[in-house]
Parts: sequence; C-alpha cells; structure tokens
Amino acid sequence: MDDWISLKLKESKKFEKGQRIARPAKLIRLLPIGYPLNNKSNVIAVSDEKLFEVYAKEQWLGTIVAKGDYLFDQRLIPDFAFKVVKTLPQGEVMITEETKIVLEKINPIYRVKTNVTFKDIIGHERVKEKCKIIMKYLKEPEKFGEWAPKNILFYGPPGTGKTMTAKALANETSSALYLIRATDLIGEYVGDASRKIHDLYKMARDTAPSIIFIDEFDAIGLDRAYQSLRGDVSEIVNALLTELDGIEENRGVVTIASTNNPTMLDRAIRSRFEEEIEFKLPNLKERYEILKHYAKKLPLRVEADLMKYARVTKGLSGRDLKEKLLKIALHKAIAKDSDKITEEHIEEALKEIKNLPSPPKEMFS
Amino acid sequence: MQPFPGMGYDRAITVFSPDGRLFQVEYAREAVKRGTTSLGIRYKNGVLLAVDKRITSKLIEARSIEKIFQIDDYIGAATSGLVADARVLIERARLEAQIYRITYNEPIEIELLAKRICDYKQLYTQHGGVRPFGVSLLLAGIGDSPRLFETDPSGALIEYKATAIGAGRNIAMEIFENKYKDNMSREEAIMLALEVLNQATEGKLSKESTEIAFVEIDKPFTKIPQDDVEKFIEKFKSESKD
Repeated sequence: MDDWISLKLKESKKFEKGQRIARPAKLIRLLPIGYPLNNKSNVIAVSDEKLFEVYAKEQWLGTIVAKGDYLFDQRLIPDFAFKVVKTLPQGEVMITEETKIVLEKINPIYRVKTNVTFKDIIGHERVKEKCKIIMKYLKEPEKFGEWAPKNILFYGPPGTGKTMTAKALANETSSALYLIRATDLIGEYVGDASRKIHDLYKMARDTAPSIIFIDEFDAIGLDRAYQSLRGDVSEIVNALLTELDGIEENRGVVTIASTNNPTMLDRAIRSRFEEEIEFKLPNLKERYEILKHYAKKLPLRVEADLMKYARVTKGLSGRDLKEKLLKIALHKAIAKDSDKITEEHIEEALKEIKNLPSPPKEMFS
Repeated sequence: MQPFPGMGYDRAITVFSPDGRLFQVEYAREAVKRGTTSLGIRYKNGVLLAVDKRITSKLIEARSIEKIFQIDDYIGAATSGLVADARVLIERARLEAQIYRITYNEPIEIELLAKRICDYKQLYTQHGGVRPFGVSLLLAGIGDSPRLFETDPSGALIEYKATAIGAGRNIAMEIFENKYKDNMSREEAIMLALEVLNQATEGKLSKESTEIAFVEIDKPFTKIPQDDVEKFIEKFKSESKD
C-alpha cells in the first residue's frame, strides 16, 4: 500500500517539473504488471515495440522515476500498471526524448491452455483436497493471514498424474500460475540459474497471489551430497533455499514441486515443504475408473469387460493405461477397420506391454 | 552415473551406515515383500495360518508350492519370501523342536522356538561373508494359550494377535486394524482370513491357491482339506455379495 501512495506522489511530481532535478534517463525497463491493487494480473502482448516506445514517451515525458516505481497507463488501458525494473543511470531519472524505453519480456510463464479438469484426476483425494485449499487461498488470501499454504511437494512414480494436477490447477484457477520445467531454470552460464530463480520468484511476488509449479524438481533440488556429479547445481540449491523460505517473505506465492525421486532431494530443501503428497499407482478400483473414464473419450465405442483388464494391469500407472493399453487398442481397431474396440484388440495391446509386473519368480513364494 | 542411495554402505552386511542402518538387512525385508501373502490370526482357542500360493500357470502342481509347514505337534509355520531360505529355516526349526524333545522329554515352548529361530537369523546379520535370510516366518503354536509370532530377516521377534507378511501386508494390516476382534470363533477367523486374501489378490481368491491350517488348545496342527477350503470360499463369496 505504501508503494502505491509513494508512486502516486511521484506521479504528481511530473507537474512540478523544473523544481526537481533529476538526471535524464538513458534507458528504462518496464515490466507490465496489470492491476496490482485488485490482484489481477493481465498480461498484455505488445507487438510493435517501437510504437510502444513512442506511445510511452508521449504520456510519461518528464516523469521522474526510480527503480521499483510504477507507471500507470492513462490512455488505451486506463490504470494498467508498468513497474520500472531498471534505470540507467541508477537512481532517480527523468524520462526525456532521448530515453530508450524497453519492455521486459515475461519469459518463463507458460499460460497453458488445457482441457484437463479435476474430474479427469481419478483417486488422489488428498491432492484434490489440497488443491481446493490452494484455490481458496488464492481467492481469499486475507482469510489465511500468515498461515498460508506455501510449499508443497508432489512425488510418486511417473505417469500417476502429478503434472496433470498442475494442468488442472491451471485450468481451474484465474490466478497467475507459473508452470516451470526445472530444466528451463538451468541456464547457459554459471550464475544464470540462480538469477532465473530469483527473477521467477520476484515476478511471482509481483503478481501475488500466484502459484509456481516446478516439474521434475529433482533436476535442480539435488542433494548436496550428489553435487559432485553436477557442479552447477549447488548455486541453484542455494537460490532455491533462500526463495522457498528465506529472508524475503514470499507472501502469496505457493510453490508446488513435483518429482519422481524425492530421496534425491536436498534435505534442507525437502524440509521446506510443509506437505509431501504421494501419488501412488492406482489400485484395482481406480484402474477400472481410469479405463472407464478414457474409454468414454475414445473415438470408437469400447465393447469389453473393463474390470477384467483392470484386474490384470496391476502396477500400471494412469498414463500407461491410457497410452499403452487404450491407445494401442484403438490403433489396432482402426488398422483392422473395425467400428468398435473389442476385447480382442485390448488383448493384443496388452501383449505388447513389456513392463507388466510379473508375478514373483519361482524363487519367491 | 547414478549415485548410490546408500553411498556404498550396502556393499557389506556388517557395516553400519552413518545413521545406523544395515542396508542389506533392509533389502532382505524387501525380498519378503516379494513373496505372496501369508497371514496369521489368533482366535478364541487357537491360531490360524492362511496363505495365498498364487498359482501362475495351470501346469504347476499346486501341492508342490509349500508355504505352510508343521514344525511340531502343536506348532505350525507360514512363510513368505525366498522359498529356499524358508525351507532351510523350517528344517532348523524342526531340528530345534526335536533336540528339545530328546533333551528334556517334552515339546518345545512356542516362544522359545521363535527365539531360537531368531537367534539363528541374527547370526546372518553379524558375520562377514554371509547374507541374511530373505524370509519371514509366522509361527503359530499353543503354550499356555494360543500364540502367534512373526520373525523378520533381522532376527527381530514380535508377537501379534493378527499379522501378515509378504506382498499384501499393508492391505492385510489395514483390514485387521478395523475388523479384528478378540475371542473370535474358528469360522469367523477363517472368514476374516479369506477377506484379507481376497483383497490382497485383488479378487482372485480360489481353492487351488488358498491354503489354511490351524492349531488349537486340544487339537494338534491341522491343514484344512481343499474341499473344505472351497466350501469356506463359497460361503465367503455369497456373504460378501450381500
């Protein structure tokens, strides 16, 4: 709130031109923020940056700004805010005809468009409950005060719906959601990664309340004991440690990380997750539900006793059932110009699944 | 290279990891989990052992898969884990029972036998050049009262009212926590056992793969014949339908 008052004051300084002296700005960088006062973030796309510069200069000429100030658009999108993220020279500068105005690129946001909803997630009741809490928090952050959900870890075997949950979450919430692949955070040079992580959290704070979802988290949160294998990771781990629960308070930023391999995570990082939710392989009932759910979505009608196949597919994940069983069965049916999927097609698909869990070998009983 | 989770502390059985674990012994427990489900339930005047043999091919002679053994007149055992290890341990248990009988001219106490077996298992966690037994035993017997013991590859020993080992242990323990009652009749105990086996095999309960045995205060170790097992399974299935 203080920010806002000071920025309105700063804006009024525009009319006291001449009384205040500031160095002319060589360059300022602006980050489109949207509407910081009512928590809405609305990302705009500027197609012509030259035109934007002219437009920006015209309305903000003579304004004195410093890093961290806001500039409000007064014409096309009234009150749309831009945050000044960098000025050259540093300190208070005045926007002049010579100032170069550059828009900051909003880089690692993947505003995913998916049609995955929570209905597609079968089983995983605890996950759904937690997601509901997160969504409640994003709607009414004041209700939670300082007891807000902060860091949550999803772990479990591949194909059990961790990333799918993130997609569903993205679909069902209107808050900013940053879907990050952990590998995106590893940059080209030493130092890139930690900078990217700090930038990411800064951006998330600016658009709070927001969710950061980091997929394949073990790639960057590797235990320090194993870091001899991956030299550049230690800086990432340190950056993450400070960001997940550090000196700077991440008000309104919920971090969800997902990994197949929680034992490889750094202990200090792992302890910062208030909750670890395990994604288990589906049991008999869940496998049946999954098969039923996707069978409805297939372009061909399925005429088969799905329960029978749920029984013999113990150990397969949701993704396996969808991709390795139903999809292949569909392909077989199409190849044979059948107008429906019969048990015969599913049997054939089943035979091709290599990693079906074998019953204990003869040496066990 | 994939780093080792145990950082090499699992190479030798006799070496502790810095946080006090013996990885090889823990891995032996995993071998037990690879075995099929065996369970034991103590009821009013006896103890029941039931196993899932999981017949994987119709060519296998079901009776050659042994999971329930008689140790002494009033002592039986059910195993889960490595078959060969199980047989060695069972032989040892029978021998201990006989040695005791010859030495003292009376049958061995079930608790004493369980401890002897565990002492034997423990030797294989403290000597170099050996590996632990990859098998757990459920020992059912009658002392002053019916008793049920579970032995673990580490040589640990716990007495239970009802317990299970092998692949279906978690499912079984959940059901036992909810449904176990003191002083059940033999038939109630059998029904509970069948429910557990049914859940653990995901509904593939059959007379060929199920074996049940019991020992009671005035009834020595008895295996229930397959025909009777079939009757119990039919009864269980009709009851669980409604």
